[in-house]
Amino acid sequence: MIPTAPVVRAVQLEKRYRKMVAVDRITFDVRAGETFGLLGPNGAGKTTTMRMMACISPPTSGELSVNGLDVYRHSRAIRDFLGVVAQHDGLDPDLSARNNLIVHARYYGLLGKPAEARADEVLEFFGLTAKAGDDVDNLSGGLKRRLTIARAFMHRPRMVILDEPTTGLDPQSRNRVWEQLAVLKQAGVTIAMSTHYMEEAAALCDRLVIIDHGRILAEGTPGEVVHRFAGSETAIIRVEPGAREPLVASMTQRGYHVYDHGTALVVHGRDGDRPVVDGVDATRISYRTSTLEDAFLALTGRELRDE
Amino acid sequence: MTTLAASGRADLRIRNVVAIWMRHFTAFKKGYLIESTGILVEPVLILMAVGFGIGRLVGEVSDVSYAVFVAPGIVVGNAMWHALFECSWGAFRRMQLHRIYDSILSAPVSIPELAAGEIAWGATRALMTTVAVLAAAAAFGLIESPWGLGVVFVGILTGLVFGGMGLFFASIAPTTHSLTLVFTLVGTPLFFFGGVFFPVESLPGFLEPVARAMPLTPAVQAARGFATGSVGLREVYSILYLALLAMLFYPLATWRLRRRLVI
Repeated sequence: MIPTAPVVRAVQLEKRYRKMVAVDRITFDVRAGETFGLLGPNGAGKTTTMRMMACISPPTSGELSVNGLDVYRHSRAIRDFLGVVAQHDGLDPDLSARNNLIVHARYYGLLGKPAEARADEVLEFFGLTAKAGDDVDNLSGGLKRRLTIARAFMHRPRMVILDEPTTGLDPQSRNRVWEQLAVLKQAGVTIAMSTHYMEEAAALCDRLVIIDHGRILAEGTPGEVVHRFAGSETAIIRVEPGAREPLVASMTQRGYHVYDHGTALVVHGRDGDRPVVDGVDATRISYRTSTLEDAFLALTGRELRDE
Repeated sequence: MTTLAASGRADLRIRNVVAIWMRHFTAFKKGYLIESTGILVEPVLILMAVGFGIGRLVGEVSDVSYAVFVAPGIVVGNAMWHALFECSWGAFRRMQLHRIYDSILSAPVSIPELAAGEIAWGATRALMTTVAVLAAAAAFGLIESPWGLGVVFVGILTGLVFGGMGLFFASIAPTTHSLTLVFTLVGTPLFFFGGVFFPVESLPGFLEPVARAMPLTPAVQAARGFATGSVGLREVYSILYLALLAMLFYPLATWRLRRRLVI
């Protein structure tokens, strides 16, 4: 791919709600044609960042431009340029599935026969043709989500922002959404998305950032992030309860993240390597390939959020 | 925040106001049979029961039969209910329960356009019920003057006032539960003390000026003037007062909506 100018440029972007800092002066780019992932635990600042990109929420400070347009001055033009899928579907229960699309297209100046033709085209692409006349309330969660994504494509945007497009879907629906996003990506659509599914991010994203407490902790391709923060492999060590403590101490001292799972200790590698474990019988150690989830947990910790 | 807000305030695109209105019209078409009961059947039942039933006991009020007296008030009172309900409960449901405003505002639509579309639809509903009930009243012989067509104009104006007021209440209501206060503490007192059923002059002295200042009272005054063919300075003032209220509530609702939605 030819290196292109960024479609989104964020420099020292900040969002505060009274004293709470939701996004803490982050800097990142989204390049034309790429799929860009925002990963982070609940409350990390993903949604706030995406809402600022979509000109739904104004930044407190910093620079942010989309398609070369400044969010402070060209909110309307940016919203015309983007397709947006928010965390809540925001579908209209008073309208049929098809009319949800047609009504929304009107806000972009697409109306009449062309809007109807486009609605049928989009319904077809998202496998919703059979549901066109259904009330939105009668659709399953997966169908609703697909309809929401379909709605974002009515005006043929060259970039879409998707906030957790697959949260709450069953594996079939989720995979269906992934396939459809992959087709759109092939067609050159720039995608910025947030997700909790690491396999989703690993499969779809060209580049991603991991954010927590409003700050970027890691940035790169999924492979780069895994290698840097979880190494090539992760060790699972089954040791007797008595031998655990000294091992945890020595591994921690050597800079590894060690997690006690109760039945086993989990140690991620780092900087592209697998962890080096000393003083434990080799038969008690097994290795598996490190994943994005390992890197994510190593970076953001294991304590529960939303509490 | 102000800069982003300013970009929306700078230009009001009628195309987008029409798009919002079209959303409502599309939804309305689907359920028009049920809607017609609220637009026509219920108010006509009230008109018959009060106008002819109670009217027989009352006799004449202000030199006309009670049915003639009460009909224009019921027409615009009903216009108030429709606009108020649509733009408070209906708008709150769209904004809070279904998050439709979020979807609309992610498109290139501004908050003033959204608010204008909502209020325009509230006024459209007021217009529909005004025309329907006015026609029924005329069929009953309760509209005495061709000036009665002017009630349609008063109905639209009433819709704009209460659409704006309803949207304002929707934008400040924390819950659906609190929104019921709009009906119990606003709609009902205005309907029963705004001159629909008895002349405000018959209220105790200290209450009369209060009743006159209430926003439904001038609508009833103007509608009654048109329906009986006696349009004077008082009716003109009433219409000006309504226009003033409409122009007040629209920016007020827009301001509160922005505070609620742009965070």
